[in-house]
Amino acid sequence: MKFEKNKRGVVWAGILGLALVFCMTGLCLAGELDVFTGEKQVLRISGGTAHIPVMKAAAQKIIGFNPDIQIIIAGGGSGAGIKQVGEGLVDIGNSGRQATDAEVAKYGLKMVKWAIDGVAAVTHPQNPVKSLSSMQLQDIFSGKITSWKDVGGKEAPINVYTRDAASGTRSVFWEKALKKADITEKANVVVSNGAMKTALSNDPYSIGYVSVGFIDQGVAALVLDGVTPSMASVKSGEYTVARGLFSNTKGEAQGLAKKFMEYLLGPDGRALVLDKGFIPVN
Amino acid sequence: MVSPFWDRAFRLFAWGCSLVLMGTFLIIIGFLCIKGYTALNLRLIFGDTGFWDAVVLRRQVFDGLFPAMAGTLCLILLSVVLAVPLGLSTGIFLAEYASPRVKWFFSFVFDILAGIPSIVVGLFGFSITLFLHQSFFDRLYPCLLISALSLAFLVLPYMIRTTQMALESLPASLRLTAPSLGATQLQSIVYVLLPAALSTILSGIILSIGRCAEDTAVIMLTGAVATAGIPRSVFSSFEALPFYIYYISSQYADHSELINGYGACLVLIFICMNLFVLSHFLKKRLSQKLLFRH
Amino acid sequence: MGMKDFFLKSLFLGACLLSAGIALGILGFMVVLAYPLFAQGLFWDMLITPWSPGQGLFGVGPMITGTLCIASLAVGVSVPISFGVACFVGILHPGGKGRILKFVVEAMTSVPTVIYGFVGIFLMVPLVRELFSGGSGMCILSAGMMLGLLISPTMILFFAQSFTLVPQNHLDAADALGANTVQKFFYIVLPCAWKSMVTGLVLSFGRAMGDTLIALMIGGNAAAFPESVLDPARTLTAHIALIIAADFDSIEFKTLFVCGISLYAMTGIGVVLARGLGQRGRA
Repeated sequence: MKFEKNKRGVVWAGILGLALVFCMTGLCLAGELDVFTGEKQVLRISGGTAHIPVMKAAAQKIIGFNPDIQIIIAGGGSGAGIKQVGEGLVDIGNSGRQATDAEVAKYGLKMVKWAIDGVAAVTHPQNPVKSLSSMQLQDIFSGKITSWKDVGGKEAPINVYTRDAASGTRSVFWEKALKKADITEKANVVVSNGAMKTALSNDPYSIGYVSVGFIDQGVAALVLDGVTPSMASVKSGEYTVARGLFSNTKGEAQGLAKKFMEYLLGPDGRALVLDKGFIPVN
Repeated sequence: MVSPFWDRAFRLFAWGCSLVLMGTFLIIIGFLCIKGYTALNLRLIFGDTGFWDAVVLRRQVFDGLFPAMAGTLCLILLSVVLAVPLGLSTGIFLAEYASPRVKWFFSFVFDILAGIPSIVVGLFGFSITLFLHQSFFDRLYPCLLISALSLAFLVLPYMIRTTQMALESLPASLRLTAPSLGATQLQSIVYVLLPAALSTILSGIILSIGRCAEDTAVIMLTGAVATAGIPRSVFSSFEALPFYIYYISSQYADHSELINGYGACLVLIFICMNLFVLSHFLKKRLSQKLLFRH
Repeated sequence: MGMKDFFLKSLFLGACLLSAGIALGILGFMVVLAYPLFAQGLFWDMLITPWSPGQGLFGVGPMITGTLCIASLAVGVSVPISFGVACFVGILHPGGKGRILKFVVEAMTSVPTVIYGFVGIFLMVPLVRELFSGGSGMCILSAGMMLGLLISPTMILFFAQSFTLVPQNHLDAADALGANTVQKFFYIVLPCAWKSMVTGLVLSFGRAMGDTLIALMIGGNAAAFPESVLDPARTLTAHIALIIAADFDSIEFKTLFVCGISLYAMTGIGVVLARGLGQRGRA
């Protein structure tokens, strides 16, 4: 009898030991993704369009690890993100501007800043005009200057593109680059950073503004008052038209949303943020 | 008297218009084919995930059309299940039971329903969702169910009109047969009239399916998003093929995504054309069979 | 048997009432949600004032103008072409050539709007931009032409159907008098069919007003009163799609219901007109 009890004990010890070994191996292999093991829920994210590439990359990694999770990502702009998370329609609402005190008070929002981003004035790559002063920029966007010739370019009309009213990118550009000057009513309205980039790269006489993380060979960033917009100049503070990328939750983040935010702020997340052209913060 | 000159001019005008129309249509299709043919492979639909992994839902597909196609399929099924019984019943009522005055009034109302722009229907669906979310159901968001309901409202007038027209255009002799044998009106409808009108009704259903597959404005407001994977339940957000095309057209991240957009256009046109051809031949073949019998 | 009959008849009646209820409910819901604007007496003003949220102006005047301009251009472009093709298919070549063309036209009706918008962005907009060196190419002209192409197949089929409404004995009489095809068309068919054709025109105008994607993708979406066909414009439908993401309690969101009511009213008037014409034509 005693022998059998011992044997049973040995067997259990062996099983436990093996299990421990498996757990340790699992931990080493999965890194930060293993917090998502066993989750079966749905995570709803919406809001700022500048955040979307990072959100999609993170979602791809997480779902690749645990296919039972469903992550839904929508755009809509910073205003939409704040509103929807406040109303409980989504779990995480992204915004490219800080939520106002009124919004925070009304919904009880908790903000987490996970990157810094710049907003650059951009044109088509084949446009000979490469730099503008603040004054010229304001005049172009308000409609006072209407031809590229007046700022050193070809004889061609300037096509102004702007964002919709819910856009955080727009409010930052309006406040810091245009110094709150009017934007002409005749400007073409596009609904996201991606849409702005598409429109600008298809129109050789265009001017618009886009998140620095979105700039690639399809558009050319304009030098503003002598400062070139780039990740470096935004980080150093030399380029002043910058904003934080926030993710807001209603109250403290819980469950899957909390794990997602922690993943974003961890080393894996920071690498993703850097890869997409933004500057990660702590 | 129409002089030979005007005669010639008129014929020229008709030919010219036809050539312009055909030419434009061919340019559009040709443009899409040229730009999109490089994208037409399994990679367009399944991205980097393998075919079997994706179809048995073992792994999720990114950068592929599969979730969008699955979403559109679920949407179509749900909307048709909601719209067909309602439309069929209403059409039967209008064709068989309604007095002329009642018929006039209701077909006026349904003409108005048919004329409502799709985005207004979408706005209605979105507002209802909001209202219900704030008042009763805290967990209700714009989702597959709401989109399917709104789409059902959109195709309802087509179903009603098709059913009504199909039943009304049946020959009078058919209507006299069953009652003369002692059947009630209901039996006459179910056993004689409906089967005779079935082909037209079926082609109407297929046209409604086509309408559901292609509509973007309604689903844009009621639950279609850019990234959601396969819909888990009727209460989840979803992707859809026409919404994917719209999304890509305004915000493609790089050239390969744009080519995928062209490929998606070709896939959508293929689906819609197939549905149209199916409905056309269904109507033609079965009505020929009908002609033979009478 | 009697119970079952009665039960199913009431079921059908119920379905009919439900469907009708939905049609009227859509309007009712929007009126209820726009009620604060009615109460403040702002509704009628909103239809004509400009849109400038920065200055507190939330009028949908520019959007109504945009809708009417783009829809009118679309119908203007579509009517001559549809007329020509309908004549080809219905009158001049009712046989082989016409049947093939008719089949192609019917197939065209199944092409989704989003495809036209997609091609519009990448083919038509650069074309318009280069040809008319003002503007970005996203303007009333591009949107109107693409929309005209969209509504043409339906209009062609409608016109072709109107041509068949002529009583056969009229045509036989004309034949007996020695008229050729074109003469028969102008003197017999057209006078009989024109009312039906106008109905088709009105319904297509309604369809053009209600289209969202083409105006959203290639119209430019500038919220200002357009001054030329090369100006970007925003339609009521595109406005709804753009502002849907705004704050629900704000006045901007309420303007969406103003847009919805206007659209409902405009297409409703179209239906009434079409029916009126249809009634008189029958008598």
